[in-house]
Amino acid sequence: MMSDRRRKQTFCAVSALVAAAFAVSVCVGKYPLSLMEIWTILTGGEIAEIKRSVFYTLRLPRTWMALLAGVGLGMAGAVYQIIFKNPLAAPDIIGVANGANLGAAVAIVLFGYNTLFTAASAFVGGMLVVMLVIALVRATGNPSTTTYILGGIILKAVSEACIMLLKFFADPERQLAAIEYWSMGSLGNVTAFKLLVILPFFLVGLTGLVLMRRQVALLGLEEEESRTLGVRVGLIRVTVLGFSTLLIASVICLTGLISFVGLIAPHIARLILKRTSFAACILASLAGAFILLVADCLARSIHSAEIPISILTTFIGVPCLIYFMRSRKAGRI
Amino acid sequence: MSEMLRLEAVTAGYGRKEIVRNIHLVIGEGELCALLGLNGSGKTTLIKAICGLIPMESGRCLVKGQDCTRVHERKRARFISYIPQRHSKMQGVTVLDAVQMGYNPHLALLESPTALQRRQAGELLERLGLDALAGQDFAHLSEGQKQMVILARTLAQDAPVMLMDEPDSALDFLNRNQILGRIRELIHRENKAGLITLHDPNLALGYCDRLILLKGGTIAGQLEPARATKEEIRRCLSKIYGDIAVLEHRGKYVMLME
Repeated sequence: MMSDRRRKQTFCAVSALVAAAFAVSVCVGKYPLSLMEIWTILTGGEIAEIKRSVFYTLRLPRTWMALLAGVGLGMAGAVYQIIFKNPLAAPDIIGVANGANLGAAVAIVLFGYNTLFTAASAFVGGMLVVMLVIALVRATGNPSTTTYILGGIILKAVSEACIMLLKFFADPERQLAAIEYWSMGSLGNVTAFKLLVILPFFLVGLTGLVLMRRQVALLGLEEEESRTLGVRVGLIRVTVLGFSTLLIASVICLTGLISFVGLIAPHIARLILKRTSFAACILASLAGAFILLVADCLARSIHSAEIPISILTTFIGVPCLIYFMRSRKAGRI
Repeated sequence: MSEMLRLEAVTAGYGRKEIVRNIHLVIGEGELCALLGLNGSGKTTLIKAICGLIPMESGRCLVKGQDCTRVHERKRARFISYIPQRHSKMQGVTVLDAVQMGYNPHLALLESPTALQRRQAGELLERLGLDALAGQDFAHLSEGQKQMVILARTLAQDAPVMLMDEPDSALDFLNRNQILGRIRELIHRENKAGLITLHDPNLALGYCDRLILLKGGTIAGQLEPARATKEEIRRCLSKIYGDIAVLEHRGKYVMLME
């Protein structure tokens, strides 16, 4: 059991780690910048124009994106694990990722590899698939979490089949490669403009979840209990799913698919806090941000070509998951 | 004694299958009623229909004269609270947070419990002798403590009608008697109306003001132990339990199989 003071110290420590990772991330890359140089840029001192340009157009948007993506995936993952009462629920459990992937594939095949268009199509695809899942659940007349998971499985399978169809007809040299590359995720295409376009969606999703935090905890109870405690389960669940889908779609439409972060970050947070309260959701978003910042630094520095981010998040995530499985056996959370 | 809960011709079941039929029942202020019956007699179905977990096919449910049959969960939760047979795991949720969930129907959607409510939640735990557990993980408590915390949450919800579905089923002999004693005391002192399903008729005889016997989905008989003679109790209970004997001990009755 953690005292309030210990908990505050934990939050400070994790925030400091995120800040440190942020600082490292703006420095490393093909054109390394030192912290001194960044300080000169920020204070408007004399420096080579190329360095200023690298900082503002490449490094800073990309680092912010890594931070936002980690926060979004960690938060949505933690919320999903609570409301689906399932420690293995990831943010793509009801199909947002597959929908976004399909949207991106459609844009790549129909309109060539225009990154802005791909992002827009991926966002629409992700939102659309989740809306279809919700419509499907409504149509069955049994809006339980199990129906949502089944609906997710159905629409994930359908999106997957459509993606395969597109891949089958895609030009293997350019389109197929682009579809594959998108599904492995990368922060290489992030620009300040794209970041500013998705920011409002991201903030609406995040703020919505923060405001609904008490209802999220109540949705974590057995359905009979939450209903008799006055939660209008059908309505509230759709609202929470809507906010989290907005959050995830706004992230992955720019980055492509990022595996494992949404699953691992909440576990790390719970292992540290021994709680499933909203504080754990916030810690999960900080943990997610840390993992993604580190993974993205590695993605652009261990090889001359950029390495897809999902490869790195998986290699970072798997040891964490194994550690989690072992600690579960020992009877901790 | 003024009327709190009134059921008018309630019929309910799962899908097309009717489990309880045409139930008429009135429970007054400060009265704890037991719902007795064998497995499959419709006890749980009736409780779930009253608290809206399964739809009523026909009939009405009124609390303090207000129709609670077809209202949404939020409104109903201000009138009717429910303690289920098995509660959620609530792993990683502190006891104090679990109790404060009871304030939900009285808070706006995005509102957090007020400082006053947080203090009151602490006082509720104190009243039930659980204040030492306030900061602990709900999932790490014993079954008896967990059920007491759920009772504290129900008190925070403060609905005039309390429904309970075998809240004693996971408890040992002492905890069982302790929690029923608490429930009886609370319902009498706070002038609520209680309806509780029980498997053990002796607990019902010991703690409840009135026994409602359910057989084949209809009310087969009613009994007020304090006003009935030993023979009346025997005759009434034998309608569902068959060949039985009733013994008396210091003004209380117990039932045995003959």
